[in-house]
Parts: sequence; C-alpha cells; structure tokens
Amino acid sequence: MLLLFIDRSFTVPSFDVQVKLGRGNMEIELEQGWEIIERGITRLKNILEGLPEPKFSSTNYMELYTTVYNMCTQKPHDYSQQLYDRYRESIEDYINSMVLPSLREKHDEFMPRELVKRWENHKVLVRWLSHIFHYLDPEFIPRRSLLPLREVGFICFRNLLYCSDDTDLDSPLFRLIKSEREGEEIDRALLKNVVDIFVEIGMGQMDYYENDFEDAMLKDTAAYYSRKASNWILEDSCPDYMLKAEECLKREKERVSHYLHSSSEPKLLEKVQNELLSVYGNQLLEKEHSGCHALLRDDKVNDLSRMFRLFSKIPRGLEPVSSIFKQHVTGEGTALVKQAEDAASNKKSVGLQVFVRKVIELHDKYLAYVSDCFQNHTLFHKALKEAFEIFCNKGVSGSSSAELLATFCDNILKKGGSEKLSDEAIEETLEKVVKVLAYISDKDLFAEFYRKKLARRLLFDKSANDDHVTDLTLARENQTSFEEYLGNNANANPGIDLTVTVLTTGFWPSYKSFDLNLPVEMVKCVEVFREFYQTKTKHRKITWIYSLGTCNLIGKFEPKTMELIVTTYQASALLLFNTADRLSYSEIMAQLNLTDDDVVRLLHSLSCAKYKILIKDPNTKTISPTDSFEFNTKFTDKMRRIKIPLPPVDEKKKVIEDVDKDRRYAIDASIVRIMKSRKTLCHQPLVMECVAQLGRMFKPDIKAIKKRIEDLISRDYLERDKDNPNLFRYLA
Amino acid sequence: MEGKSPINKFGRGHRDKVQQFMAITGASEKAAVQALKASDWHLEGAFDVFYSQPQSKIHTDSRQLEELYNKYKDPYLDMIMADGIARLCNDLQVDPQDIVMLVASWHMKAATMCEFSKQEFVGGLQSIGIDSLDKFQERIPFMRSELKDEQKFREIYTFSFGWAKEKGQKSLALDTAIGMWQLLFAEKHWPLVDHWCQFLQAQHNKAISRDTWSQLLEFTRTVDFGLANYDAEGAWPYLIDEFVDYLNENGVGADGFSRTIGA
Repeated sequence: MLLLFIDRSFTVPSFDVQVKLGRGNMEIELEQGWEIIERGITRLKNILEGLPEPKFSSTNYMELYTTVYNMCTQKPHDYSQQLYDRYRESIEDYINSMVLPSLREKHDEFMPRELVKRWENHKVLVRWLSHIFHYLDPEFIPRRSLLPLREVGFICFRNLLYCSDDTDLDSPLFRLIKSEREGEEIDRALLKNVVDIFVEIGMGQMDYYENDFEDAMLKDTAAYYSRKASNWILEDSCPDYMLKAEECLKREKERVSHYLHSSSEPKLLEKVQNELLSVYGNQLLEKEHSGCHALLRDDKVNDLSRMFRLFSKIPRGLEPVSSIFKQHVTGEGTALVKQAEDAASNKKSVGLQVFVRKVIELHDKYLAYVSDCFQNHTLFHKALKEAFEIFCNKGVSGSSSAELLATFCDNILKKGGSEKLSDEAIEETLEKVVKVLAYISDKDLFAEFYRKKLARRLLFDKSANDDHVTDLTLARENQTSFEEYLGNNANANPGIDLTVTVLTTGFWPSYKSFDLNLPVEMVKCVEVFREFYQTKTKHRKITWIYSLGTCNLIGKFEPKTMELIVTTYQASALLLFNTADRLSYSEIMAQLNLTDDDVVRLLHSLSCAKYKILIKDPNTKTISPTDSFEFNTKFTDKMRRIKIPLPPVDEKKKVIEDVDKDRRYAIDASIVRIMKSRKTLCHQPLVMECVAQLGRMFKPDIKAIKKRIEDLISRDYLERDKDNPNLFRYLA
Repeated sequence: MEGKSPINKFGRGHRDKVQQFMAITGASEKAAVQALKASDWHLEGAFDVFYSQPQSKIHTDSRQLEELYNKYKDPYLDMIMADGIARLCNDLQVDPQDIVMLVASWHMKAATMCEFSKQEFVGGLQSIGIDSLDKFQERIPFMRSELKDEQKFREIYTFSFGWAKEKGQKSLALDTAIGMWQLLFAEKHWPLVDHWCQFLQAQHNKAISRDTWSQLLEFTRTVDFGLANYDAEGAWPYLIDEFVDYLNENGVGADGFSRTIGA
C-alpha cells in the first residue's frame, strides 16, 4: 500500500493503531505532542507552496495520526479540545500568512485565478488535516456538538473572503462577463471555477453563492442591459430591437450553462427581460413606424410572432399587445363599414355583398394571426371577438348587419344570385358566415330575414332542392291530383293552364293578401280550383296570395308576337288594355283595387324599366298619379320570350316589426320564468338575469325590459313589494 | 304615525304655542303638537282641528243619517249621483272640486267618483261621527287636516287612483290623472307637479297605470329637487325615467332647478 503524495487523493489506511504503538502508560504532554504534529503540518504546507520537501510517507502520516489518537484517548489529560482548536488555528494561520497576502498582490484577472488556485490548495489542506485529526470526528465532535473538521476548514476560507475588504473579487469577474457580452472570448473555465467556490463553500446551502456573488452579478447584469436598452430603444426599429432582445436572452441562457449555477437561470433571465422588455415595453410597442400597429398593418407575421414570444415572458406583457391588436382589427373592420357606406351612397348595390365577403376574409385573416402568431392565447381570442363585436354590429346605410348577412347567404344559395359557387364552396362560405354571426347581437333578426328569404327561394327558385320540404312535396302531389281531376271532369275547365301551390299557413312566413280584382279569365281558374279543393277536404280555408303568383302572357305586338313572363299583378294590369286603349293611373288603380305602393311599383316595371310594354304619358322616369298609359304596340325585343321583373316590396320594415313583437314576448316569458323560480327578486338582478337569458338570441334593451315589467305588473303577474319598491314579487 | 316628539325639538315660538294650546284646551302635549302641526302652527286653525275631530266613538243617529241620505239620493237609483252631490256641496257651502270631498269619499271607501252607494254614504259618515249637515260642516276642518298626516295622505293618494278611474278600466285617463295630481299636490306641496303635468301632455298622451301612479308618490317623497339622488338604474317606472330625462333636457335638476326657481 504505497501512498503517493503527488497524486493528491489518497486513501486513508486503516489499521489497528493500538497494536502498533504498544502503549504502555506513556502520557504525551500537550506541547510535546503538538510539536510532532506541527512539524508534519508545516511540511504539508510547504508541499502545497511548492517548496522542496521530502515526500510525505505513509509512516509520517501514521505517526501524526497516532499522536492525535493517543492525545485524545489518554487519561487523565485528554487534549481533544486543544487539538480541535489548534487544528483550526493552524488553518487560519496558513490563510493569514500565506493565502491572503498572495491574493492581495494580484490584480485584475489574476486575482480570481489566484483565488481558484488557493481554493484548490485549501481543499487539499483541509482534506489532509482532516485525515490527521480524524479521530476527533466520530466521538469528540458530536459529543460537544461542534462543527465537523471539514466544515471548520471551509469556514476559515469563507471568512477570508469576507475579511478581505481590499480584495475586490467582483469587479474582475464582472469585467470578464461584460467582455463576453460584448463579443470577446474569455476564460470560461476560470469563471466556472470561481462560481464553484461560492457553491462549494456553502456546503449544501446556496446562501453564499446568492449573497456573495449572485446578487451583485444580477445587479451588474441589470445595469448592463439597462444601458444597452436605453441606446437601442432610440436607435433601433421595433423588429431589430426585438431580434437583439431575443439574442441576448439566448446568450444569457447559454452563459448560465457555461459557468453559472443553474439556479441563477430564471433570476438572470428575469432581470434581462425586465430591462429590455418591461421597462421599454410601451415605447417599443408604440414606435411610430415599426411598432405593433405598424407590424399589424404591414402583415409582419414573423416579427409579431417574436413579439408574442418575448412579451409573453414578462408579467402582464401581453395585455398591451392584445389591446393594440384589438384596436387594429376594429380599425380595419370599421374601414370596411365606411367603404360599404360610401359604395352604397354611390348606388353600387354590389357593395353590400362585397362588404360581407370582405368581413369574412378579415375574420379568416386575423383568426390565422391568433392561432399562428399568438399561439391561440385567450387574450387574443378575446381581442378578436371584441373587435368584431364592435364593428359587426354597425349597420351599413340603414341595413343592419343581421340583414346583410342574410342577404349574403341568399345570394350564394339562390339560382341567379350574384355568386356562382360549387357546393363545397357554398358549404365552406356558410360555415364562415356562422362564425361571423356569433359576433352579431341581433341573431333573431338574422333568423327572421333568413327565413323569409329561404321561403322565397323555396317558392320561386327552380333549382332549389325542395325534396326535404314536406309542404312543397305535398303541394306537388296536390297539383298532380288537380290535373287528374281536370282530366276526368270535362266541364271543370279553367280555360288556361293553371298550376297552384298550396302551402300550410303555419310553416311559412306570413304574406299579406290583398283583394286584387282578378281579370275575368283568372276568376274562372280560381273557381275551378276551389271546387276541386272542396272534393279533397271541407275543413280547410284557402287564402289566395296573388302577390306571389306568376303569369305567362302572349303579347301580340306589331313587330312580332312575344311571350311575357310576369307576376299576376302585372298580368292583371296588362290585361286591362285588352278592353281599353288608354287608361289613367286612377282608373287602373280603381280597376285593380290595389294600394298606391303596389300600383306605382307595377306600373314602373312595365313602363319605366328595361322593357316598356306600356307607354307612359308624360314620359318621365317616375310614376305619378296623374299619368296615363297606353299599350305599346310597337314593342319588341330580339328574344321571343322575356321576363319582366317586378322588384319585391321591401320586407325590411315588416321583418323588424315582427322581430320586435317576438322580442316582447320573449322578454315577457323570460321575466315570468325568472320570477316564477325566484319568487322575489330586486330590479337590478332581474334585469341582469333577463339579459343573460336572452343573450343567445338578441341584446335586450333595458328600457324594453322595464316596460315589460310594468306591463306584467298591470296584468297581475308581478307586484312591487310594499316596503321596498325595488323588489318584485311573483303572483302565483 | 308619529312617535313621541320631545318638546325640546321645536323652536321657541312653537314651544310657546304648544304650552298655550295645552293650557286652553286641556289637551295632552301629544294631541297639542298633532293639532298644531296639522294647522301649520296656527293656533286658531289648531283649535278647529282639535274640536272637529271625533274624540271617541261618537254615537250617530242612524235614522237621521238615513234621512240625510234620502235627501240627496237620485230619484231612480238607490245611489247619490252627481246631481245629489252637487246639492250636498252647495248645502255645505263647499266647492264640489274641493279636496274635502275626496277625503270624505275616502272615508266612505267610495268605489267611483261622482256617486255614492247607500252603504258607502252611511257607513263612511258614521265612521267619522256625522249624522247631520251641521256635524258634516263641523268636521270639515278635521278632514282637511287629515291630508297633512303623512300616512293618511298616502292612503288617500292611493285611494284616489281607483276612485278616479272609469269603472272597468285598468288605467286612469290622463286628463283625470292630471286633475287629481294638481288637486293633491296643492295640499302637499311638490314643486315639480307642473313640470310633470306638462311633460305628460307633451310626451305621453296615454292613460296612467296604477304602478306609475303609486311610484310617483314615492318619487315625490324620496327624490331631491335637484334630482341628485335619482337612481337611474333603479326600479322606477319607465315613465318616470323619461320624466327625469325631460327635466334634465329642459335645464331642471342640479343647477338647472335653481335657475328656474330664481327666474
């Protein structure tokens, strides 16, 4: 078992010392024994200093160990305490006489180097000495609750670092770090070794590392980045600044892995983020030509993604970003609304269709931003939603957005609509419409408009797939049996080809029926059908809606005979001219028994529009009650068969009225439901619950709710509490 | 009803009057204060009130009462109709529009204005100890004083709605309502009554619901002249919210009010 002192780690031999010494009752005096020990210690110190010394053999070691052992175990004079104290003193002595001076004379980078070297030495010294004084450890030390040998040794070194006021350890280290930050190569191993001292010296606790090194390092870091940031914020654009910031964070992270303790990582990054992002966050976002607004405007998705990544790290960092995002989207949306308004005032009707499409595109675009740049973060989903809610509820030139959406759908779905799309494209577009619909508060209004237009499509659109509409299937079967009936009954002859569509009232929107004076030819048709229908059932009442009918007329014009496809109203007006050459407005109105509105509309379509079947006198562009009309015998067109459209009545007012009425019922029902279950409730909570309940379909007006409450009071559903007029009670 | 009010609450002048009243009539302090309050602290009026109120369950001669009823009843119906009421008022030397008739109707729990059933007439007058024209006249100051009582005024006010509206109607016609309000708030002063009536005529033009009627009294009692403590989020009827808007638009409320008052 040869022990080599060049190799600084050696194993402690264990053998029975007692046997070797052959103890007689020979007591060792303190100073006597100490002299032996001290000699050995001094030799060790010299070896550490690199002074020439003969090798320290295992025998030397044993001698020392044995001396210690004897001095501790002998009776009566057990010198354990003294040995313990002198162990410490010799280490302190070494430090004060050798280590401290050597540190003092070093400057700059050389000081930490020296420190590292000294620390390594110290560890060795402590190890050696601990082995020599080892006997104290198992019994004496614990018995007296003293610090273990190794700890004592480390504490001595620790105290050195504290006492050395004139040795500034930090500055050289921080200078090194700064150099590396500035791009220079540095001795990373050195830094790592110094950091390791702080860690090791804590002996399991991080206090020394944190208090003696880390705190100052963090402050230094903060100061460094504060300076950098204050320059960059002035000189750099937002994207450039962010690139730098990202780079810095990456580097600092690497720095930790190179030579700092891992526990420093979050604290270090937090400091850097604070100086670069928190402090200058707002300035950065609001940079005029390159800040968040500009990036959104210029679709800089990469920069925005970086912005998200960076700002998500700082507390409340995303809030200003999402706020700017919301502002931006709202601005874009509002601009679309304005565009549509302008187009509408210039009478470009296609503007509204385009508007809806653009809104859908806007939504697609920014939804992608939310999922890509902003990683689906809820703040941004919320911002998008709120932005859309703001501008989607602005109408355009008198039409509410609910109506515009319904019209948009109608145009996509109907034959001859302004868009020609494949089925898949239609499906896809409608899905997007549904997403936009979520932002509109008047959903019930949309439903009503949609329903009306759907009914129109079902009734008039030949291409519409109506197999799943039972009523229309029934109507077709009806027509078939009507034709059979006509075939079997020779005297049941309408005189003209007649097709009747019978609808069940409850399933369709309500259509007003007017008492049109039918031309005599048609009167017969109605009669014949009525008789037929009586054979089918006596329990149903038929109401004729002439405003929805169509008619094919043969017009015998001088140039050539033509077929005219018109509405029943138009046909009725034209047929009047079979028996009169010239008719005035009032005569026509009297004959037909229609309202002014209807008469104006239909005469306009026949005399002032594309096809002038009637000649109007005077030849102005609008119909007035003093006009007169003549059949235009000279009318012709290159086609043999033309359709003369009659623009439909604007159903908007009626729809809005119907929806308002439904809303009143809905509010009533909601209030009653709430009060029935709560029995008593104060005004404010009642209103709030009502709004919440109805929110899915529409946003109820607070005044409207108040009015309904009062109405319910007068109808004895509710009463006010006698003592508290703010409290309502349900009356069973 | 008011509780004990220590005499020390009042100013010197009032205290003196109470002392005087008590000395002259031998009434208790409470009764003295009550009577004086009812007459706005005029001693003579207070005497009227005090002596005209029913001291206890006064015995009324039911035969006399019946005769009184028959004097005014309609020839064809077993009711006193408008005509009879006019004659009664004339004999009492009271204007038929006088609010005293309203108070009397209230005592009678009359169902509708301008007519009293026999039971209403007899029962009502009996409850306030009247069985002759003289006694009726004597009771008039007392009946007037009842309007000064907070609680009674409220009851009379509430009663007025049912009484003034048409039989079978749920709401009160606007003109009648305005008339009633002007009558009632002449007695219990509400500075905004004219604004209220103007507002209704300009903007509402419909009948008044019972809820609005009763909530208006609350309004007069709780909301400041300056409208400062008006809670727009509260459960005030819609019409009253509109009234407040109207006032704000027309410069009444907060400083607006002081302006119009000054002018």
